Amino acid sequence: MSLLPLDRSRLRLLAVVAVACLAGCGGSQVIVESTFPKPLVEPLPVSMGVIIPDELYNFIYTEDIPDQSLWTIALGDANVAMLAPLFEGMFEQTRDIDSLALAANDSTLDGVIEPKLEKFEFDVPQGERDKFVEVWLQYAITVYDPSGATIIEWPVSGYGKSELARDAEDAVQRAAVVAMREAGATIATKFSEQPQIKVWLGGIGHAAPTIGPQAAAGAAPSAEPPTTPLE
Amino acid sequence: MERLRLIGIAVTLPLIGACGVTARLEPYKQTNAVISEGEHVVVLARKQHSTHEAEEDFVQCISDGLADGKHGLQVHSSKDFEDKMYPWFEPSTAPLSTDDLTVLLARPGVAEQVRETGVRYVVWVDGSTDRVASGGGITCAAGVGGAGCMGLAWWEDDSRYDLTVWDVQDSENEGTIYADYKGRSVMPAIVIPIPLITRPQNHACKGLTDQLRQFLTTPEGYSSPATQADVGG
Repeated sequence: MSLLPLDRSRLRLLAVVAVACLAGCGGSQVIVESTFPKPLVEPLPVSMGVIIPDELYNFIYTEDIPDQSLWTIALGDANVAMLAPLFEGMFEQTRDIDSLALAANDSTLDGVIEPKLEKFEFDVPQGERDKFVEVWLQYAITVYDPSGATIIEWPVSGYGKSELARDAEDAVQRAAVVAMREAGATIATKFSEQPQIKVWLGGIGHAAPTIGPQAAAGAAPSAEPPTTPLE
Repeated sequence: MERLRLIGIAVTLPLIGACGVTARLEPYKQTNAVISEGEHVVVLARKQHSTHEAEEDFVQCISDGLADGKHGLQVHSSKDFEDKMYPWFEPSTAPLSTDDLTVLLARPGVAEQVRETGVRYVVWVDGSTDRVASGGGITCAAGVGGAGCMGLAWWEDDSRYDLTVWDVQDSENEGTIYADYKGRSVMPAIVIPIPLITRPQNHACKGLTDQLRQFLTTPEGYSSPATQADVGG
């Protein structure tokens, strides 16, 4: 007899089910799933190692909202689906690595990038006048040089809202996708503007592009999303 | 019983007259550009406001309406366009003016990508449908002999939208179409509730789609004056 192979996706699903069952098999479960595009930006001429930590793969947010229900929101798959094409578009070369220690002896890498999802908040309206479900999240993007020294720890937030129709779970899922796309847009357009990144790029002989999407992003018109959590 | 029915009819008929939609459309076109064979149009919602956002269904309704029929235009999918242009048409990065659009198109690869989609016109939809008033009330009761309701409830929805048309080839603002559709619904209850519902958003979609089609296909002399009308329930 053989056991069914349990890949990461199945494990996440099991985890969501387990959390829900521990709470009495009630509540609202949302598994955020979407496809995310590769950004239309000029890739930086660097070779980056990418660490996707297990916490990001298996990110599950739970919150028991008084007078509503227990919410269980799984973002693991969506995190990977968003960040993988994002980094592929931002850097000329990317390679998945398991840990920072493995990058230390790799002379082909210019740096290592490690994203984490630090904060997640959401709000489902109860009043008749409120129309939107809102999601706010914050990633921490850490860039290391090949020796393991931290170049930057950059918090990037994203905000999304979605019209609350009949299905609140569907609205949360859509708002989360908007928030993730927003965070991805900020990472893609503002990464090379960060002073520490400019210094790092200069140090390895790759100046940030002086023209083009990455460089011009600062001049881009923007209606900034909220940078503070939902109230 | 007959008397009750007559009273019901006498009360209901004026109420049917009371519900309906009033519409105001104000188109303004400032150039003579028209859409040509092979050129596409894309309809996008303005999403940077914190208080409102054009409903996804409404944007889809205008897209479908433009593409429909014998003289349907070539309409690019909004989602597909936003994906292909990612991250430049997200709520925080989308151009807010044609000057911003010029800056965006100057970035490497952006103009080429727009050309690849075949999109010549971007239509920005701004606005929303909101409940602006409501009142009345219905009381229901049930007993051994039966159940029934009595009363009257009413509500008024307001669909206000602005369409702004940009020519992405020339980075030009072609003009705007403003629409304000107000609809009043009533629900009298004489034993049973009778909903007499008007949907101003549906009327706004149809009105704006027709106006937008004319806007994009009529070269000179497009000068539909502001119109105000009752368009029925």
